[in-house]
Amino acid sequence: MTAPAPTAGVRVAGDTNVGKVRTSNEDSMIVDAMHGLFVVLDGMGGANAGDIASQMARDAIAEFVQHRRSTMPMRALLEGAIQSGCATVFAAAQANRERHGMGTTCVACLMVDPTHALIGHVGDSRAYLLRGGRLQMLTRDHTIVEELVDRGLLSPDEADRHPYKNVLSRNLGARSETRVDIVEIELKPGDRVLLCSDGLYGYASAEGIQYILGSGDAPDHVARDLIELALRGGGGDNVTTIVIEAPQPAPSSTQLVRTNGAVAWWQRRQRFLHVAKERGLTRNPIVRGLEPKEALELIALSLCQAIFHDLEKSTGVNVWTFAQNLAGGWFERGGDWAALRGMMDVLGESSRTVVDEIRTTEPQLGFLLDVAVSRALVVAELALGGLLADRLRQVDTDLIQLHTANQETIDAPEEMFEIGEQFIDRPTIPFLRPDRVVTNSGESAEVLSAIEKTLTIARARTAPRAELVKHVLTALEAIASDGASSFATSVLAARDIYGVRTVDDNGIMPLFDALDQARILTASSVHQITVPEHIRARTLRAISAAHQRLVGATTGLVLEAAAPYTDKLRESQAMTSQLRGQVAQAEKKRAELERKFATGVDPSLPWGARGTTEW
Amino acid sequence: MSSAPPLAMGYEALRPKILQRLLDLRSTLDPSLGRLDDPTARAQIGAVLDHLGNFIATGDLGLHRAFLHTFMAMRAAEAQSPASVLAMLVAIGDTAAQVAQDEGAGTSAGSELTLLLTRVTASTARAVNDLIADELARRMGQWGELSKKEREGGKPK
Repeated sequence: MTAPAPTAGVRVAGDTNVGKVRTSNEDSMIVDAMHGLFVVLDGMGGANAGDIASQMARDAIAEFVQHRRSTMPMRALLEGAIQSGCATVFAAAQANRERHGMGTTCVACLMVDPTHALIGHVGDSRAYLLRGGRLQMLTRDHTIVEELVDRGLLSPDEADRHPYKNVLSRNLGARSETRVDIVEIELKPGDRVLLCSDGLYGYASAEGIQYILGSGDAPDHVARDLIELALRGGGGDNVTTIVIEAPQPAPSSTQLVRTNGAVAWWQRRQRFLHVAKERGLTRNPIVRGLEPKEALELIALSLCQAIFHDLEKSTGVNVWTFAQNLAGGWFERGGDWAALRGMMDVLGESSRTVVDEIRTTEPQLGFLLDVAVSRALVVAELALGGLLADRLRQVDTDLIQLHTANQETIDAPEEMFEIGEQFIDRPTIPFLRPDRVVTNSGESAEVLSAIEKTLTIARARTAPRAELVKHVLTALEAIASDGASSFATSVLAARDIYGVRTVDDNGIMPLFDALDQARILTASSVHQITVPEHIRARTLRAISAAHQRLVGATTGLVLEAAAPYTDKLRESQAMTSQLRGQVAQAEKKRAELERKFATGVDPSLPWGARGTTEW
Repeated sequence: MSSAPPLAMGYEALRPKILQRLLDLRSTLDPSLGRLDDPTARAQIGAVLDHLGNFIATGDLGLHRAFLHTFMAMRAAEAQSPASVLAMLVAIGDTAAQVAQDEGAGTSAGSELTLLLTRVTASTARAVNDLIADELARRMGQWGELSKKEREGGKPK
């Protein structure tokens, strides 16, 4: 009996694009349905070595699988193929100086049979699984920053902003062999696996990827649309995608009705515009200055169209884009949330009216539309929330700058008190100076006990050798339990952990790493104590405030220690400025002399009115 | 929400399955949830599901909003951005609706619960956006005051 082909009933497609910034494509891929092998590789290295590395690894991996698939166990086959790619690139890099340092990432899917696959990867190219409409990452980037996160030395938020977030900790080619992570997955009908280079997820949101991958489109369309999404997001890197779809179940009635639903929705667009007008869309400040017809077409018809396309493809990307454009434009004009909220309410109510009418005549279809349109409106809210949060972050940044500037200009204590009085109760600025006056003179016995328990748990969870973290936890307990929250407690604690340190990376970085690790530990430990929610919230607030004070005091000490260097820098800057002044004066003098010399030439001479220094 | 009590009972019956699916998918919902150990993640997601149940049973938007306010404050103290809190809450609501749809396929109670959970998710998203907008307005106010101070502080004495 012949074994079924590894990809029987599986649909696969791949696509690649150079992007909008790069001039060459260093990505490579394998789409080999016959051997059930699908691979994305992203090369790196100067002097055009990146594309060579990814192509060499690609050829070595493909050849390895083609020759050994029938004789080797699947897991060993995949690992052996990737190792063979690694050894090939390493050997080539060693043999040619110009290619020294070249390498490539690799994410590979080896289909064992149509319902089982192995995913192997090295580097930061990724594999995702889409199941039941939800996107799940199957790989974990092999980057330095990701490993710091794993060790608890960085929070995920900090990792996103870290300057070295793209520095790989593993690749094919750096050594003769590498560690390969392999996971096995069982595929269910309709599951989709996506393999991609960082040019996709670096320029497209996870939500966007999820919606496109979750659409009912064929894999070749999806692979192309994903690339289009990355290009729209900037296209700053080469981008490669491979979409693998497990055999589909028989088309569900839901899917069929949903297609009919999209048509039913679109057929009622005029009714939707009419209801939106009745509910006051044309009076909303967002469309002030527009003719009613124009306003209805611009807003209501656009949303109607976006919902239709999203219903048709089972995505949310069109409604997302609509909401982003609407809100982005309005906020840029200085618009407020209230008008936008009002507009969304009108649109939501209008859509509900239309769907209710469909429900009276076609209950089943109407119900499905009701759920789908409600989901589309949730997507719109998500897009709006993203924009609001962006603005909040921007205002936060401005506030910190302004606050710092204000602190620097305040010279009298009474002025400081005046500022303190206004902002004392608004702990919204992340950097809290240790000398800031605080209103709560003390915490209740319940909170103090909760602080102690939290810190005890945090200490127990600290790694045995992490002495500095333990010191920080002790300091936090002292500050958080100090009823008066005095300046002295914070500074003494900071001095204790600062000790005698050099003002360089080796002296300072471990200290701030420890402060950060302590923050992560306490934030998670507070959830492990058994107290009422309001006490937990107050405990978290007290520890958080203590942490901010400790960071403030520590930063103060670092600045103090760096002061002599700052003075030297200032002196050098002053001297540079003085020298620049002297150079400018000399230039001026030279220009004057040249002018004097030039005008002193006899205009009657045959070669013209102005002389040259040659004669 | 006159039909809330029977639907609330239906929701309570599905709650363990919803929780299990959320625990299985938590690393895709939210990176920080993905890193938590099982009991802690169970407690955090469980708290959200409890309040969804309360909201379905009572329809009290004020109470729901108060819960979201506290929940966002707690997550902010853990350095989680409002946008990711919103995404997480929507993903929880969406998964709950998905489970209701899968489990109640073909029954009218299942359909109604799916629709209700989708609408609850929409209300949650709107309430979170209102909270973010309130916070934004408050900070814009602070920004205005600080700018004024700066201008006054910058004048020659």
